[in-house]
Amino acid sequence: MQTKDIDENIAWAKINADVLRSMENPRMGYWIAVVCCLAMVSCAVVAEIYQYQTGLGPANLTWSQMWGLYIATFVFWIGMSHSGTLLSAILHIIHADWRKPIYRFAEAMTTFSLMTAGLFPIIHLGRVWNMYWVLPYVSDRGIWPNFRSPLSWDAFAITTYLTSSAMFLFIGMIPDLAICRDNARGWRQKLYTVLSLGWQGDDRQWRNFRRIYLLMACFLIPLAVSVHSIVSADFAMSIMPGWHVTTFPPYFVAGALYSGCAAIITLFIILRYFFRFEEYMTIPILEKTCKLTFAIAMVWTYLNLIEFAATWYGHDMVAKELLYWKFTGPYAPYFWMMLFLGSVMPFTLAVEKLRRHLPTMFVVSLFLNLGMWLERWMIVGPTLSQNYEPFAWSIVWPSMVQWAIVFGSFGWFGLLFLVFVKVFPSVSMYEVKEMVFHRRTAHRPDLAVSLHRRAEDPQPGSTPSTKGV
Amino acid sequence: MSLKNVLENWSNYRKGAEEGGHHTYEHMWGMAIDLNKCTGCNACSVACYAENNLATVGKDRMMKHQGMHWLRMERYWDEPDLGGDDNEFQVRGGSVLPMMCQQCNSATCEPVCPVAATYHTPDGLNAQVYNRCIGSRYCSNNCPYRLRYFNFYSYYEESWPAPLHMQLNPDLSVRDKGVMEKCTFCVQRIRTAKDTAQREERVVKDGDVITACAQTCPTQAIIFGDLLDKTSKVSKVWESQQVVLGKAKQSKENKELRGYRVLEGLNTDPKVLYLDRVREA
Amino acid sequence: MKRYYVMGLFSNFEEAFATIAEIRNHAVPGVSVDDVTLKSPIEHPEIEEVLGDRGSPIPKFTLFGAIFGMCFGFLFLASAQATFLVQPQGGKAVIPLPSNIVLTYELLILFGVLSTVIGFLISARLFTRRHPLYSEKVSLDQIGILLELDEKNVNPIKELFGKHKVLEIREEVSQ
Repeated sequence: MQTKDIDENIAWAKINADVLRSMENPRMGYWIAVVCCLAMVSCAVVAEIYQYQTGLGPANLTWSQMWGLYIATFVFWIGMSHSGTLLSAILHIIHADWRKPIYRFAEAMTTFSLMTAGLFPIIHLGRVWNMYWVLPYVSDRGIWPNFRSPLSWDAFAITTYLTSSAMFLFIGMIPDLAICRDNARGWRQKLYTVLSLGWQGDDRQWRNFRRIYLLMACFLIPLAVSVHSIVSADFAMSIMPGWHVTTFPPYFVAGALYSGCAAIITLFIILRYFFRFEEYMTIPILEKTCKLTFAIAMVWTYLNLIEFAATWYGHDMVAKELLYWKFTGPYAPYFWMMLFLGSVMPFTLAVEKLRRHLPTMFVVSLFLNLGMWLERWMIVGPTLSQNYEPFAWSIVWPSMVQWAIVFGSFGWFGLLFLVFVKVFPSVSMYEVKEMVFHRRTAHRPDLAVSLHRRAEDPQPGSTPSTKGV
Repeated sequence: MSLKNVLENWSNYRKGAEEGGHHTYEHMWGMAIDLNKCTGCNACSVACYAENNLATVGKDRMMKHQGMHWLRMERYWDEPDLGGDDNEFQVRGGSVLPMMCQQCNSATCEPVCPVAATYHTPDGLNAQVYNRCIGSRYCSNNCPYRLRYFNFYSYYEESWPAPLHMQLNPDLSVRDKGVMEKCTFCVQRIRTAKDTAQREERVVKDGDVITACAQTCPTQAIIFGDLLDKTSKVSKVWESQQVVLGKAKQSKENKELRGYRVLEGLNTDPKVLYLDRVREA
Repeated sequence: MKRYYVMGLFSNFEEAFATIAEIRNHAVPGVSVDDVTLKSPIEHPEIEEVLGDRGSPIPKFTLFGAIFGMCFGFLFLASAQATFLVQPQGGKAVIPLPSNIVLTYELLILFGVLSTVIGFLISARLFTRRHPLYSEKVSLDQIGILLELDEKNVNPIKELFGKHKVLEIREEVSQ
């Protein structure tokens, strides 16, 4: 049974070769995946064009239920973006070096799920063409957005988070892009020469690199927490029963980390399988991720129970009635399913045998994410169906237009991710090297002599080769 | 310069409604609806459709809750106090509640609009600026009364086929898709009355403005007027019912008084007073 | 005056660090540790012990960006609110601190991050041409020690490199 996170005696040339191979010209399967994603996206595009021209009526939104799947899915994607920050920033600060082989794709996931999430508030607008009015720009009419609205906080928070996480992703990739530049030909070489910004591994560059990485990590942790707290403020700041809940910010952050970690497990297994990254994305690392997910799942369960208990114990009759109704009403199947998937399903992560079994983990992680998606829907849907005004009580199920756009968003995310893995290294080469270097020096410092030399290099003690005289 | 403005007026700008804010109200339009008089005939709703260019959406969309009835007649058949399961009471009819935008003074819809399309006017009205609305629909989601309506479709072509477009009220616009709208207390009539009063160099009197619903009500159940004018009819009703603005819980001396405001306990401070219907048990 | 550039590539990182330590201890008269540039495939926090603490101005950029973001953010929001008095208030003050604190916090981070990145681009001397002696092996698995020298020091340095089992030596002369 494999217990070591990584084989520290792996040759560095092999690390480069393995990762660079994953970026080589794609095979048939890749193009099939691209076509599938494009098909999904085009479903959404067709639905959006229809909705744009007709109005929001065909989406089955009504005056009693003004938000539907769009906002639920928006929260879902925002949530998914949080785990990349968890892996790259929090684990970086606490020096958990097992994050190193898997943080790159998690961070890319952060950026891409934010790019997906950002589409939803735009899609759900009645007048999409005026969306820029939410931004604070100087106009001659002296009109500003309303800074009191949680929606304009969203605009600020998402812009900041997208900018920062994209920067973080890019900066962390610069040394790897330099490796790509040194090994690529043709258009790729031109691209990487520009993107690597003239990186040459100087001590000055590395020194500043270490500083900026730490500083960005310090910025990103409170930022990620604030972003999902602000998203939760969309609900918590309102007056509606089931939304006006004090525990929402931590509940949302926990849910975000939860769904993100589950998504990391999914993508971990996919990348490991298709790119044959068995030596980097090892079972022990997966186990650590699973344990982390399990811990977060339990936090999420606890916060759920807190919310139920606080409502049940409180004197807000409307909220209480809504809570009973969630358990018994038409939404009950979905509500129970969410509780099952979110709170019971993660116990599979606690069993070592299941945790080490990749197909099981793949299915479980997908189910966990389904549970988290249902959680967001169970926040948005029931409250709008039943709240203060009995006359407005109604059950409206989302129409095909909504489903198509939600469906397409997964294709959009997949498409961005597919492009990413072929253009950028999805395993951080230099950080895997650091990981094995530090682990090796703890055990066998003498190995470096043999591992870092190739056949054409002279033996120790013989005359060094000279060039460029 | 704006920075100078901030520093000079800092203490003023930091005052909330409790300390007087920095808003001064010219008028405070309010309403009183006597449910004893209301027969549930829906004439008010029809008048509202005619006055405010409300789109007729058709039966299917109406059933789907996509209607545009700014003033809706809510029917309740199963109130437990009235013996909800009892067939006899059902035969005697349910209870009705005409609901229009309550023009809350501490409106929950206002602070959540991301683009400031809904705001409070010096007339105490909760105004909706159609041109500014981007249709995020947050205001409606945060309205505990659910009295905001959204243009889910473009209605201007199908809703008023020729020659019906001739009956559109020229005093206000027809809204296009993607815009939130709601009862305005017939703001176009208020505007006209204020202009007339200004032209005649006098103040707006009680009775100068009457909303379409109040004008149409056959039993005169709806009374409309300025709550700041202590002599107006509506002020007198509010006073007699011992209901005052700005309180989440009214302290009534006489518990028999019928006046109440809907969901007052949420501290939205609505400006429509309902007089409860008295029925024999 | 002619300048000589010499770069030695090492597979054993310990030996490379020992080379720098010897240069620091004036093994070759006239060559100081400040002339040394280390090129490495990975980051070595421990190298500062031999190379000396060369410092980094990035935290200053960060501090400036964060403070600027905070001040600018709050004043920007407050002055926008103060010029836009019809802004819906729902009974709240014109300049409400709770929501402004949330937005100021976001702007603090945004400007802090942007300024940190700018600081990095400047202080890491990115956007410069790669050194002519740059070797692709540096991005793979070997450490390069690059020195800028006078002619008389070239051979002693090569000898020093040889003592520490250098694999390859590259040279360049500039006019």
